[in-house]
Amino acid sequence: MKSSRKIFVQFVICMIFFSVIGILVNNLTVNLIRTGLGFNFNWLIKPASFALAEYPLPYSPSDSYAWALFIGWLNSLKVIISSLLVSTLLGTIIGFARTGKNSLLSFLSAGYITIIRQTPLLLQLMFWYFVGFLGLKDDMSIHIKDIFKISNQGIELSVFTLTSEFSALLLGLSIFTSAYIAEVIRGGILSVPRGQWEAFRSLGVSERKGLISIIIPQALPAIIPGLTSQYLNLAKNSTLAIAVGYSDIYAINDTIINQTGRAIECFMILLTSFLVLNLLISNSMEIINRIIINARKYN
Amino acid sequence: MFNITLIILFFQNTRKTLFSNFLNTIISLIFIIVINLICFKAFGWLIHNANWKVITSNLPLYAFGSFPPAEQWRPATWIFSLLSLSIITLFGPEWKWLRKNLLIAWAGTIPLGLYLLYGGIGISPIMSRHFGGLTLSILLTTCSSLFSLPLGIILALCRQSSLPLIRKLSSIYIDVMRAVPLISVLFFGQLLIPLFMPVGIEIDRVWRAIFAFTLFVSAYIAEDIRGGLQSIPSTQIEAASSLGLNKYQIIQFILIPQALRIALPALTNQSIGLFQNTSLMAILGLVELLGVGRSILANPEFIGQYIEVYIWLACVYWFVCTIMAVLARHLEQRMKINQANF
Repeated sequence: MKSSRKIFVQFVICMIFFSVIGILVNNLTVNLIRTGLGFNFNWLIKPASFALAEYPLPYSPSDSYAWALFIGWLNSLKVIISSLLVSTLLGTIIGFARTGKNSLLSFLSAGYITIIRQTPLLLQLMFWYFVGFLGLKDDMSIHIKDIFKISNQGIELSVFTLTSEFSALLLGLSIFTSAYIAEVIRGGILSVPRGQWEAFRSLGVSERKGLISIIIPQALPAIIPGLTSQYLNLAKNSTLAIAVGYSDIYAINDTIINQTGRAIECFMILLTSFLVLNLLISNSMEIINRIIINARKYN
Repeated sequence: MFNITLIILFFQNTRKTLFSNFLNTIISLIFIIVINLICFKAFGWLIHNANWKVITSNLPLYAFGSFPPAEQWRPATWIFSLLSLSIITLFGPEWKWLRKNLLIAWAGTIPLGLYLLYGGIGISPIMSRHFGGLTLSILLTTCSSLFSLPLGIILALCRQSSLPLIRKLSSIYIDVMRAVPLISVLFFGQLLIPLFMPVGIEIDRVWRAIFAFTLFVSAYIAEDIRGGLQSIPSTQIEAASSLGLNKYQIIQFILIPQALRIALPALTNQSIGLFQNTSLMAILGLVELLGVGRSILANPEFIGQYIEVYIWLACVYWFVCTIMAVLARHLEQRMKINQANF
């Protein structure tokens, strides 16, 4: 295409794009004026006047909406980071069991992965919440002395307690993500050529040492990108917290919209907070990736 | 004689894989005991405690939601036609005319479904708020995947365009859509689209949901297809243009068919994921399969029977997902055969 024609086509597309946006914004302003809402963020400093079930920082209903949103964001971060750790641990174990020599373990983990991947996450979350935690009767609880106790109030460890909403969300998200992480780990291990296994075995290196110092370092570069996208999925899936009544960023935005009707502003806040979360996760994974690549270089 | 050798081989194999050393033996034994315990408990519960009345007495509700009982033959016909079409595709005879027309039949199921559900000529019209259950889940999945495939292809092509503006716009769209959670997009569809519409125009909730799903899924499909496009060697394009094909012909006959075939496994995963994700509409007020489960559990007659309902729903989701996966594998294999005949 000639450059003058290129510029013309782009100009036309630009015009179409902006006119569609213009029409939509015009509709929006008409509708907002009609409903008497207008567009501003002044409401953020007004008192929120709703209670939250859990808050990592001090919070009371007289605090502002902005503070409530920040608490929700922290709650999201809390559940994301903790289920990230648990699911990585669980997924690694299952991934190794899937590739290992023990055929019973490999069969079991294959079944686990299929069942978890073929049912919706929302169903699993509801199952863990309503059956796993609220299903326990008041007098029924599983405990090991005073250190560890599971009841319908949640999980109590000797030092701190987790509410049943948080525990159900943690369990559901971790189990769901671990099935995907197990597949990523399996793919990574299978991507190491068979010759490497045979080589370290023939050199007389023990199975465990060979796995740790030969196989895993070579599998990691293949694992990290898949792992990153699973972590990002985990962060996005954590918004399903609203189904079990955990007050994460989405649930709080929902409450605020029901209270004030500020749908557009809340939606923008939600999008921004998610972009920040995503940037956080992908940047830290990028740093880990670079560390691993450097470590390989110096070896 | 043959059987005995096979059994001996099996035992030798078991010994090698399960009881090769001390640690492995312990792990295997522990797992065998645990599995046995769980199976016994589960069977005991299934036989003595489970009360399947919550499922059996509500079967029409799970399948059709609150569709008027006199008209329930319509969604039933649709689901039945989908099911029989899958069976014909998988196990049907290898007649050439049948195989040729199967694709048309599959494409025809969507208009058929819309006609049967909404009504119109000849049958009484029914509002979309009566849709529900498995019918609604399947309707959302089929319609959204139908719309998001062409949109995804266009986005993928735009992302590779030589015009910088188009490239930038589509990559911004794809990246933003992939960064936000699905539930917020669906929320946008349910709450915000009415705000962007001119006064007096209203789109019904089912179509708003389909629109939101399409927006979301098309970004993911675009990335899958871009992967397919990038793996086509550039010699293909050079060969096509030296044969005198113009740009659009190259896209239509060379790029898209190959990219689609390469991206097919990823696209299958997207549509299975889409079917599972239709359950999110239960939070946002559409009574699809999971929503029906929730409303039945809220009924005082069936209160507290969570386990039965959730196991049943999991089985239904699992069944439909498996059918989709098997169909997709079948399609993949057929495409491989076609390539070999080439």
